Amino acid sequence: MMKNIHFDNLQETLYNEKLDNGLDVYILPKRGFSKTFVTFTTKYGSIDRTFIPRGKTEEVKVPDGIAHFLEHKMFEKEDGDVFQKFSVHGASANAFTSFTRTAYLFSATDKLYENTEILLDFVQEPYFTEKTVDKEKGIIAQEITMYDDQPDWRLYFGTIENLFHEHPVKIDIAGTVASIQDITADYLYECYETFYHPSNMVLFVVGAVDPEEMMAFIKKNQGAKTFEDPAEIIRSFPTETDTVAIAERKLAMDVSKPKLNMGMKCTNTDIDGEEMLIQELSAGLVLDILFGRSSNFYTETYNEGLIDESFSYDFTMENGFGFAMIGSDTDQPEQLEKAIRTTVKNTVETWPITDLELNRMRKKKIGQFMRSLNSPEFIANQFTRYTFNNMNLFDVVPTLEKLTLENLKDAFQTFSDESGHTVYSIVPADKAE
Amino acid sequence: MFKKVELQEGVTLYIRKSEQFKTVNFSVKWKTALDEKKSALRAVLANVLEESNGRYRSQTEFRNALDELYGTVLYTDAGKRGETHIVSLSAECVNDEYLSEGGVLEEVLSLIKTVIFDPNVVDGRFDETVVNREKRSVKERIRSLYDDKTRFAQMRMLELIRPDSAASAPSYGTEEDVDALTSADLFAAYESMLNEDEIDIYIVGDIDEDDMTEKIRSLLTFSSRKVQARQSTTQHTVTQVTDVRHVREKQDMKQGKLHLGFSTPVTFRHPDYAKMQITNGVFGGFAHSKLFVNVREKESMAYYASSSYSSHYGLLYVMAGIDAELEEKAVNLINAQLTALQQGEITDLEMEQTKALLANGIKSAFDSARGQIEVFDQYKELDENFTADTIIAGWETVTKDDVKNMAAEIKLEIVYLLSGKEANE
Repeated sequence: MMKNIHFDNLQETLYNEKLDNGLDVYILPKRGFSKTFVTFTTKYGSIDRTFIPRGKTEEVKVPDGIAHFLEHKMFEKEDGDVFQKFSVHGASANAFTSFTRTAYLFSATDKLYENTEILLDFVQEPYFTEKTVDKEKGIIAQEITMYDDQPDWRLYFGTIENLFHEHPVKIDIAGTVASIQDITADYLYECYETFYHPSNMVLFVVGAVDPEEMMAFIKKNQGAKTFEDPAEIIRSFPTETDTVAIAERKLAMDVSKPKLNMGMKCTNTDIDGEEMLIQELSAGLVLDILFGRSSNFYTETYNEGLIDESFSYDFTMENGFGFAMIGSDTDQPEQLEKAIRTTVKNTVETWPITDLELNRMRKKKIGQFMRSLNSPEFIANQFTRYTFNNMNLFDVVPTLEKLTLENLKDAFQTFSDESGHTVYSIVPADKAE
Repeated sequence: MFKKVELQEGVTLYIRKSEQFKTVNFSVKWKTALDEKKSALRAVLANVLEESNGRYRSQTEFRNALDELYGTVLYTDAGKRGETHIVSLSAECVNDEYLSEGGVLEEVLSLIKTVIFDPNVVDGRFDETVVNREKRSVKERIRSLYDDKTRFAQMRMLELIRPDSAASAPSYGTEEDVDALTSADLFAAYESMLNEDEIDIYIVGDIDEDDMTEKIRSLLTFSSRKVQARQSTTQHTVTQVTDVRHVREKQDMKQGKLHLGFSTPVTFRHPDYAKMQITNGVFGGFAHSKLFVNVREKESMAYYASSSYSSHYGLLYVMAGIDAELEEKAVNLINAQLTALQQGEITDLEMEQTKALLANGIKSAFDSARGQIEVFDQYKELDENFTADTIIAGWETVTKDDVKNMAAEIKLEIVYLLSGKEANE
């Protein structure tokens, strides 16, 4: 039965039903919108490289970059390219692969049911041949090469490589030009059969949509297909210690100014649900308070020219791994590194954060969340991510409202220890030693 | 879609009540003729106004105040469109009805007034420390373009085919111009912007239009000003194209960034504008387009291969990321797609897909407040009463023959390749 949950303070109603085949369907109508945004996501990303394939008993390790490769190959069918079909019905389609998810999506202002059917059908009808797989290698090799030339991407991934000894989060999502050569149609089928079962997926529809009619349409589409019974997916991950793999590394590239990024590895990541929500919201608040635009750190380093407009910080967490990052283009990488380390160290030693800062940032975060609810893309993508981690996106505001300084302190302690800190920098090629 | 209220001569309010969003969006746009030196001044000015003001003398105080207002977003930007330079001040706050306390909207309005009319000025000049800091920031922003190889290649290609013209003029001026400006220059630029620029003010949100109009009238007390049609002061070099130029430049990088520049006499205000938009769509605007299908899917040569139509400058670009060794093959393949269009090799399917996606694009743009403001601000120059439907109707009438005729007007001017030092030597 379809359930509906009304969020009074947000003036939103969410409709949900778990279908017989295990697919979790969510529908959120948005008043005044002319577009509908639909995502169909599997809980399968670049880190899922070691697992027991469906129907087998032995664990396998698949080539790096295969989840992303599979995402590309889903669009090609015996009768051509799926983009062509979406285009006929005016839908703008796309897909992305992250560490933990692969999402297929479209946005359309017309022909909602035709487009929803194309989405459901193309993701549920794999078609891989050796010929089409080989053909894709050239395209993905160019995609990888494109990222290789992007200093900010290299900085981001270089930092992650520094942070982790064994965890597959350190492997580039697209793999390498060499690793994708090992991908075959058989491998793709094996990954597909294991991870694309409806019980491992979420469908999210947001925007201009009639929830009852849409749910009936989806059920009819799914009811006409046969699936094997849901089976537990057995993934395996190597043991990862709390310390960093590499404390410091430099890369020379053709850039105008050095770039520095500091990574801080997070402990206590084997969590989900409310515990995870509290920890990640608290970590975000601490970073905002310590490094945000209203912080002393920001004012001082900006005034001294240690950071510029490229300065940013971020907190990433999924079940099994997490990290904070702080970085900027800078002519004085050593001084910037020192300033970041000093701020973290002082916070450990004196804990200068009070309720005044907490309350101000809490308000800021609540406003930011409300603003995000204007975006169908944000709602669908984030809601799905939350669901895969047994959290609910609509718990964000009530959770923010009850966070205490103790929560912030606990979250800060998961990444404040120096043994989990690393620095990655990019230096202009002509100035490299 | 927007209700138009002329507040003063040259100062217009465009306001729209909408229950679609949980926030109220503001945008104030100052428009003047594009000029390189002026761009540098206005870029720094935009930064300085965002940094602090007479009420909040430091960035920390100002940002704290915004955080307290439930993370109200407030930022400035400098940009160009056609022959016009635009400084904009944007703000967005959560609608009071979603918050446990009221008064946020009132306070944000008051802050917008402060940012515009009460800057961080002492004795007729902006604070020197602030000015020097923001000069540095703008210079670094200009310099950082070098690190983004796709944007850098695009800029170089434009500089080569349209030197000293609006098409290649930087929105933030040059490093030298930024370096040379003084605090006094900046104050003069501020006064000129406030008193002489054409001003468009946009408001979108769940507000009472009449009530808000009166508030804006009493808070934003701009004086009247004469607004003339804008001609860029940067000279227009209309060159008669004879030979296609081939330029190769090197940096230490892996991929080849191939940028082709084409000219077309059809610009934004030309009666054939809609036809050229469709032509670009069939050529390379989408994932069903000839470039994507042939360069990426059939030949597996690229991850991206697309075209874009820069209607204000009568230019069309093709960009592809390729193995530099395959430059010639890629250029031939791209040219072959244009030739196919010129020979009328266009299917009904391609026409249908392109029209459907253009329609989807404009309707979707209206699903964000920022999209409504930006699309309206541009299209109102053609027709103040336009709607998504009137624009879509314009595309619907375009035929395959139209596309063929438009393609005949597209002329290749330059093939530019930015690639790694070891390739092609």
